[in-house]
Amino acid sequence: MVGLNKKILRTILISSYIMIVALIISGISALFSYLNTGADRSTMLHTEIQKIEQYAPKLIWEPLNNEGRPMDNENLNALQNDYLDAWYVKQVAYKTNKTAGIKDYYTDSARENLYAFIALNKAENTTIEATTLNHNPTLEFFSEDGQLAVVTDKDVVEYKRIFKAEKLVLETTETSTYKMVFLLEDGFWRIRHLVKESSKPFKPKTTKIETDSLIIKGINYYPKATPWNMFGDAFAKDIIANDFKIIKDAGLNSVRIFVQYDDFGKAAVNPKKLDKLKQTLDAAEEQNLKVVLTLFDFYGDYSVMNWTLNQRHAETIVSTFKDHNAIIAWDIKNEPNLDFDSRGKENVIAWLDNMIDLVKSVDTVHPVTIGWSNTQSAAILKDKVDMVSFHYYEALEHLDAAIKTMKTQIPDKPLVLQEFGISSYGGFWKPFGSSEEDQANYHKKIQEIIAANKLQFMSWTLYDFVDVPKAVVGSRPWRRNTQKHFGFIDKNGTKKASFKYISN
Amino acid sequence: MQGIRTFIFLLGLILLSSFAVAQQNETRPPSILLTTQTDYEVGNAVVLEFTASEGEKPLLYCSNSYGSTLVEALLKNNVIQYKIPENITKKTGVVLWKLLQEKESVSGQFNLNPKAEVATIETYIGPPSIEAGETDYTMLVVIPTDSLDNPVPTNTKVNAKFQFLASEEKEAIFTKNLIAYKNIYSKRKSGRMLVSSESLGVNSKEFTIQVWAAIPTDFKISAKRPHNYADGNQVTTFATSVIKDKQDNVVSDGTFVTFFITTENGNILKTTGTTIKGIATSKMIHPDFKDTWNIKAYIDGMAESDTITLNYQSVIDDFDIAFTNKNRKILVGPLQSFMKQMIPDGLQVKLLIYKNNTLVDTITKTSFNGYVTFNLKPAVYQNGNYNFRVETAGIAKTFNNKKLW
Repeated sequence: MVGLNKKILRTILISSYIMIVALIISGISALFSYLNTGADRSTMLHTEIQKIEQYAPKLIWEPLNNEGRPMDNENLNALQNDYLDAWYVKQVAYKTNKTAGIKDYYTDSARENLYAFIALNKAENTTIEATTLNHNPTLEFFSEDGQLAVVTDKDVVEYKRIFKAEKLVLETTETSTYKMVFLLEDGFWRIRHLVKESSKPFKPKTTKIETDSLIIKGINYYPKATPWNMFGDAFAKDIIANDFKIIKDAGLNSVRIFVQYDDFGKAAVNPKKLDKLKQTLDAAEEQNLKVVLTLFDFYGDYSVMNWTLNQRHAETIVSTFKDHNAIIAWDIKNEPNLDFDSRGKENVIAWLDNMIDLVKSVDTVHPVTIGWSNTQSAAILKDKVDMVSFHYYEALEHLDAAIKTMKTQIPDKPLVLQEFGISSYGGFWKPFGSSEEDQANYHKKIQEIIAANKLQFMSWTLYDFVDVPKAVVGSRPWRRNTQKHFGFIDKNGTKKASFKYISN
Repeated sequence: MQGIRTFIFLLGLILLSSFAVAQQNETRPPSILLTTQTDYEVGNAVVLEFTASEGEKPLLYCSNSYGSTLVEALLKNNVIQYKIPENITKKTGVVLWKLLQEKESVSGQFNLNPKAEVATIETYIGPPSIEAGETDYTMLVVIPTDSLDNPVPTNTKVNAKFQFLASEEKEAIFTKNLIAYKNIYSKRKSGRMLVSSESLGVNSKEFTIQVWAAIPTDFKISAKRPHNYADGNQVTTFATSVIKDKQDNVVSDGTFVTFFITTENGNILKTTGTTIKGIATSKMIHPDFKDTWNIKAYIDGMAESDTITLNYQSVIDDFDIAFTNKNRKILVGPLQSFMKQMIPDGLQVKLLIYKNNTLVDTITKTSFNGYVTFNLKPAVYQNGNYNFRVETAGIAKTFNNKKLW
């Protein structure tokens, strides 16, 4: 018995000894391999660093007619990149009151001027969020040895928000003309002299756009199988064309579709996505349907530093399709008022305001609207949009009064009830939900209100969806299941009772 | 009744108080700019004055070439003053300002004009070396700045001064687009050009431009050798004439010259040299057999020489070959040069071994003390009949049907 105990003790001792040694060895080897990870030689040259587009205001060079040496494209590109980076680091520096990055883009003497501003603003607790939206540089001079250039940048549109102790005190847009001397130092084009030659408050040119070409009787559209992912891998023109025929046959004349900011490649719009969008618009044109194109879906960052990137995105899409026959209007953003709390109301409105200016500068024909999620927000920017769109998911008995209020607030712009509908889901997750019969009654009633108020309308939505991405309504099953049943047609393709009231 | 009176009285009070508020608003008209000056010389203090609006001390936003800031108000005798910060007043350009009062904001701008002075002259000159011949040029770029590091006004006069050999010139240029520039053309001669500039009494540093000779013109070559024998030992030296450009300037040192030697059987040998004072030299070892060389030199893409011809005489007329040790040891020599002296070590001797008229092996050796010995090992060259051929100094000797055993 004693012998057995000894053996057990011995086994435990030896095995624990082996385990401790194994643990120590694995610990040391983990530490060793951790220390080795940074020493990968291929990373020493930083070859993996690629240029990231972070500041892309609209920039158009005047025709090259400079004194001195003729300019070539490579040098001009290098100059342009460093010039825009110079603006970018300046904006970041004034936003944070830190000097990082300044020395790469301003020469020794020039950077002192920026440092002085940063020191002053830091002491006074002033910060400035700014961006430039438009540049029209002229190359005045390029030296024979290619080391010095003079540029005049005419009518630079600068948007600024000035904060004092984190409180917004001024929002201003200015157009200024700058004259600059650049020196090529250490491979960087650095600003040596910077002189603002003229400056005045900016007034965007906006022309009134006629909106009475079509009375919108439409529907919000996503394909049945790929809601919120319309232009993904499963894109098929024939499915969309077939759905558009159903919509047309139901007596409607338009659809509202959504372009997602990230999905379409942000500032550098993916040509493949543009092609799919074109096929969609072609399909609409074949059915003689018009399209309200909603931009910036799933985009929620309105920060000033990203404006230029957002604007390049919108510019690409709008300029590509502004001559397409199917386009009836540009919807800048879906339900931006839902971001007021999280992103700041001023931020969101300023972003919308400038985005409208941009879209109108590219397309002077098609009206612009914003898809407000409720009737209370509808009057925001009413003077900038060409038609006012709002969504209504509240109780029908208040709709008539809300429309009357809006009509007094906005007497001169057409109103579009751009989203409305009710889910026919009444199941496990929502036992007291509506039935298909309730849905039909809802649409019958709301069409009466629409007709009585002569509203334009776009209902939500054609199909019941098989699946709704979590990003849309969150992951709670009672919400997702409700969202799946807003359609006029169920997921088996059978028209629900409400289909009768799809139009008036 | 009492209740109604009290009610009317209270209502009256409310009405009155609302009027009072309205009146108070009317007594506070927005601040108005008192300062009339809109042009200042850079570096001077700028103070903007406004009529004070009771109790209000709004911030003033102002923005210049480099940035924007907010200025706090100073209240003095019913006038509010804004002292524009020094970092704004010391840079030229337009300053935009806006008074951030609650009511309609007042805005405007003023100009900070450059001073009529030059404190430093920044000079950029390039390219630093150019070619003689009155077509190539370098560019002088001058940025005169005042004591606050601002560029001077347009049309400020700058004297560009250059000295070259005997000439000293001065030319007035004027600033435009913040800079003044001048193209400086080379003269016919090569040499150093000194450049400086002056504006409003301030002089720049001295800058040097090297004017190099232009591209070379065609030239002649010559060859020098200790003797004309093909001994594979001595060295022939090639040299160019003094290479010059079309203005008679000697080309710059280090001009690269390639000598191409074409041998009798069409092979090309190449040797190179760089010029010093216009002359490039290069060397090539003598051939070890009778040959004729045609030599021509090139400066790639620019110039070439005439062709010269050199003959090399054979040094060896004949030599002996002795087969010993079952014909397995082949002794070649003595190899004697033109004065019957033993040829210097290193002459190449080639032995070609044939069996049944097919080449089995080639053995190359170099001479030592005038002899070369080949040992044919039995393990490699089995017994039998072989043909041998010995080649050296351009002479070949053949031995057929030698039996190894």
